[in-house]
Amino acid sequence: MNQLKEEDIRKIAEEALRQLGHSASPESLEKVVKATVSKLESSGNDVVEEWKEVKATRLKSKHDRIIITAFGKNRTGILAGLTAVLAQHQCDIIDLTQKLMQEFFTIMLLVDISESSSDFESIKNDLIQKGEALDLKVIVQHEEIFNAMHRI
Amino acid sequence: MPLSIEEILETVRMTEVEHFDIRTVTMGINLRDCASDDLQRLKKNIYEKIMRVASEHVKAAQKVETDYGISIANKRISVTPISIVADGYYPEDLVEVAETLDRAADELGIDFLGGYSALVQKGFSRGDLSLVHSIPDALARTKHVCSSVNIATTKAGINMEAARLMGEIIKQTAEKTASKDAIGCAKLVIFANVPEDNPFIAGAFHGVSEPEIVVNVGISGPGVILRAIREAPDELDMASLSERIRKMAYKITRAGEFIGKRVAELQNVQFGIVDISLAPTPMPGDSVADILKAMGLEDVGAPGTTAALALLTDSVKRGGMMASSHVGGMSGAFIPVSEDAGMIAAVERGSISIEKLEAMTSVCSVGLDMIAIPGDTPASTISGIILDECAIGIMNNKTTAVRIIPVPGRKAGDSVDYGGLLGKAPIMKISELNNNVFVNRGGQYPAPSRGLRN
Repeated sequence: MNQLKEEDIRKIAEEALRQLGHSASPESLEKVVKATVSKLESSGNDVVEEWKEVKATRLKSKHDRIIITAFGKNRTGILAGLTAVLAQHQCDIIDLTQKLMQEFFTIMLLVDISESSSDFESIKNDLIQKGEALDLKVIVQHEEIFNAMHRI
Repeated sequence: MPLSIEEILETVRMTEVEHFDIRTVTMGINLRDCASDDLQRLKKNIYEKIMRVASEHVKAAQKVETDYGISIANKRISVTPISIVADGYYPEDLVEVAETLDRAADELGIDFLGGYSALVQKGFSRGDLSLVHSIPDALARTKHVCSSVNIATTKAGINMEAARLMGEIIKQTAEKTASKDAIGCAKLVIFANVPEDNPFIAGAFHGVSEPEIVVNVGISGPGVILRAIREAPDELDMASLSERIRKMAYKITRAGEFIGKRVAELQNVQFGIVDISLAPTPMPGDSVADILKAMGLEDVGAPGTTAALALLTDSVKRGGMMASSHVGGMSGAFIPVSEDAGMIAAVERGSISIEKLEAMTSVCSVGLDMIAIPGDTPASTISGIILDECAIGIMNNKTTAVRIIPVPGRKAGDSVDYGGLLGKAPIMKISELNNNVFVNRGGQYPAPSRGLRN
């Protein structure tokens, strides 16, 4: 079955528009869509594979403020360790709060990662690894989830 | 206003300590355009559509988990009731369709796929009847496929023939999966007033009035509510108790809606609804029964349990409705037995009976859920239980359901362990009184007068 349905072609057009941006000229959009449609129609059973690729491009994050929460027993070098990782990734610290309750240490960092050349996942992994070395539990999350839960 | 450290720690505590997670992100897929008069063609259409549409579903959900640090326990798919998509086929053909669905779910890494379903509240079409007869084999030969049959609504009344037949189908499903303690029955649910956008298994399907593709989300947060109640002093009055529940329900619904919208957005599909049902898991502290106990009951089953559950269900609804514009599905509190550590313990202590559970279903979100009963229970007894639940549902204008497991070879007092989210099920004692004449009357149980609301 090599014939694409109208619905599919519409989706391809939407996807192309999204990727090209709304300033794209109608001619260039048409060119891209036609090329994609003919490629899909000639490739037959690979249609599913092609779609995977097209859709995979959507899996990129566009939000760039993250919140890092770390807690564990107090010791020297916690803040230095975490901020060193952030500096390595060219992340900008916007806000920082820490609290010491008896021996228990909690730190929260609000960080802008838009200027970083690394992606969210590698920053997150490096921070968690650093945390393990310092006996800290480190949790890294995008800021939006907190806004959704705590702001009306 | 910037976020305070207390707010951030509260969210972290919910996810890290109190097991707050998203129970399921369920993608609903319309399969009506897959219909064909050639079985091979039908199977191919269904397989290809699911593989194409849901290709990124698991990946998108995993990405959202990483980004926001909230785990999504299950990634699921619901499809148009197969009795509609595959109308005109024989039961053995439908089993092949079930296997096709299972293969697609397996290859995509989907936990469960719902929609092997039929809506028969007012009578059977030929496709409906074929589907119902194919259920035992379909569930025995697949791993991820879940089945549901809606046999009653407030507007239509109860299809008595369906109620009788489903008792037998449940027994056959149990026999066919006897080697696995009748696990097939854990994937089969009988409904009254079924919602068409429910993301929860086993009752999920993609209703005929739903859009082409949609993402619905179900949350799970008994642990969070439990903490709010446990921290309340004994003198706190009911309205204030309700307020504590509402506030927590608000927060977890907001998180659920946010996560669902992100998963939908990443796949460029429409977001549907948040089902704000409190879904327990067998993990300690993630129990609806524990919430009821924390309100001031020695154990679930104590007089007052139904009132406590009603307060919980209503408060969760109020909080959730404020939090999200699109609340749907069941949206209340689930009281499954095997999936809730507090409920299992109560059954083992003899604190709660199936009759008390039935009373509780008149104020919870679903019904008799994940209840194991002796294997020699006659089909007519199961049909009678189904009829009781349907009557509660249609008279009170609410969803009710029966997911009951007659475990072959087991007696009351025994126990079976399904593992994972399905948990451990103590076999409950049920009435042995005869109801043969009543359940075999057939015909259509008339719709209640409250169904006429125009």
